Amino acid sequence: MLAITLREFKSLFQSIRAIIIIVVLFGVTVGSAKLVSQFKRELSGLGLGDNAYVIGLMLLLFLAAPLFVTSISHSSVNKEMESKTIRFLATKTSRENIIFGKFLGNISFWVLCLSIALLLIVPFSKSFYFVDLIQSIIFVSYFIGLSLFLSTVVNNSSLTMFAGIVLSIALPVIGMWSLLSKNVAIDTISYLTPYFYYTHANTSYTYFVLIHTVVFVMLSLIIFKRRDL
Amino acid sequence: MIALRATNLTKQYGNKTVVNNLNLEITSGSIFGFLGQNGAGKSTFINMITGLVRPTSGTFEILGAAGDSLNDVRTRIGVLPDYSTFYENFTALDHLKYFSKVLGLKLTTEELKKVLRDVQLEEAMNTKTKNYSFGMKKKLGIAQALINKPDILFLDEPTSGVDANSILGIHSLIRKVAAEGTTIFLTSHNLDEVEKLCTEIAIMNKGSIQTKGTMSELRSQYQKSITVYVKHEMIDNETQQKLTIELSKLVKVLSISATHSEFIVQNESAIPELNKYLVMQQVNVYRLEVEEASLEEIFLNLGVEVQTA
Repeated sequence: MLAITLREFKSLFQSIRAIIIIVVLFGVTVGSAKLVSQFKRELSGLGLGDNAYVIGLMLLLFLAAPLFVTSISHSSVNKEMESKTIRFLATKTSRENIIFGKFLGNISFWVLCLSIALLLIVPFSKSFYFVDLIQSIIFVSYFIGLSLFLSTVVNNSSLTMFAGIVLSIALPVIGMWSLLSKNVAIDTISYLTPYFYYTHANTSYTYFVLIHTVVFVMLSLIIFKRRDL
Repeated sequence: MIALRATNLTKQYGNKTVVNNLNLEITSGSIFGFLGQNGAGKSTFINMITGLVRPTSGTFEILGAAGDSLNDVRTRIGVLPDYSTFYENFTALDHLKYFSKVLGLKLTTEELKKVLRDVQLEEAMNTKTKNYSFGMKKKLGIAQALINKPDILFLDEPTSGVDANSILGIHSLIRKVAAEGTTIFLTSHNLDEVEKLCTEIAIMNKGSIQTKGTMSELRSQYQKSITVYVKHEMIDNETQQKLTIELSKLVKVLSISATHSEFIVQNESAIPELNKYLVMQQVNVYRLEVEEASLEEIFLNLGVEVQTA
């Protein structure tokens, strides 16, 4: 599993899309932290305190993480199925190792990127936002799980790219809409998105998103184990 | 000891039965040849046994582990799947390093290079596989199946698309690996290859095994006649005529000339009889050649369409 995790992790750094995402992520994080540092006193007066330094990163993640994650992880399984390289892996290790390896490789990429992004804020804030790091990792893990699930269910990587883009737009819209709407259907669907939990006053709700991630990964595994390769 | 046992193994895709109630036992240490036309179900069978495809029904056991416990013996199995493509930006060495790690092996670069040397890929080991020919990819496919020194090796069409020189290399490698105790399960369209390499052969047709056995068992079962060529001392016309009349009672005489004669016998036991008669007639035999049935002939006798490589 570790070998698959490492290969997945390394391969993510080799795509142009991933490099663009890293540049945007770091650029927005540093830019917003710089901006916030100029209005430190005003923000403190508004009660936003030190958390204001991570506001750029969190906003970026809320709005663009679905697109970022699906654009680089949408084909982690089906690309190998299309090229048939999965057959070499599946004859050498268990299918559990393949799915968990792929998931861990993707999550490792984001853990590293988010950690670096938060480290870049340290010179401005003079502190490391550990809780925000955990929460942003959980947020991103939802979309990694979803991408993995799509990639396992749908054989065609172009189709998963398209589905990923649609969901990247639909999920934030549904999530934000549910904040204002009294519609029961929208409210119900919003429980399936991470936005409901992340916009709740009680921040511990964010940890419930992990359940979604686990469900996505387990569903991926169940489907993948039943697949003829 | 049984290396592989399949019991009523069946695979259906929709209404199409690709492998039908297949029963098979393979003894450890043998080179087992699996023959059949395209679509006979050979690759599907390998795919089921190696865990790539789920059987619709039936069970199998490999190296003592049941099919649902295949993960327990994965490190003892080597597989060259029927369709081999690789990570385009990886070199051959990168592939072997990666696959050995996936298997959980700690092999040195030298050990991996040796595997590449065995399949004659050493010179191209640092070339990205996107620049590989079909034959080179096939060799890399064999190399990756060998890195764990498997107890059982599945080779699906190992020499298709490979140049003649490399085929000889692959054949000698297969013999070497078998001599080290590895059970080899080989599918091929090349009847000569199977005939030369395999200790046991099964012929598959429409999802079922039509016949199985060693080459000599198959010959005795399906060979309709044996042609015998005899080189003998110079005989005169009178002796030739006499032999033609007398031997016709024993065998089918194709021709009798001054120095060579040709006969057809129904079974091997008639050959010593033929020789004995010639000696009795004081015809000294210099050489006696027997033309045995090839796999191609057995195929034809079975009514299976022949596909030569």
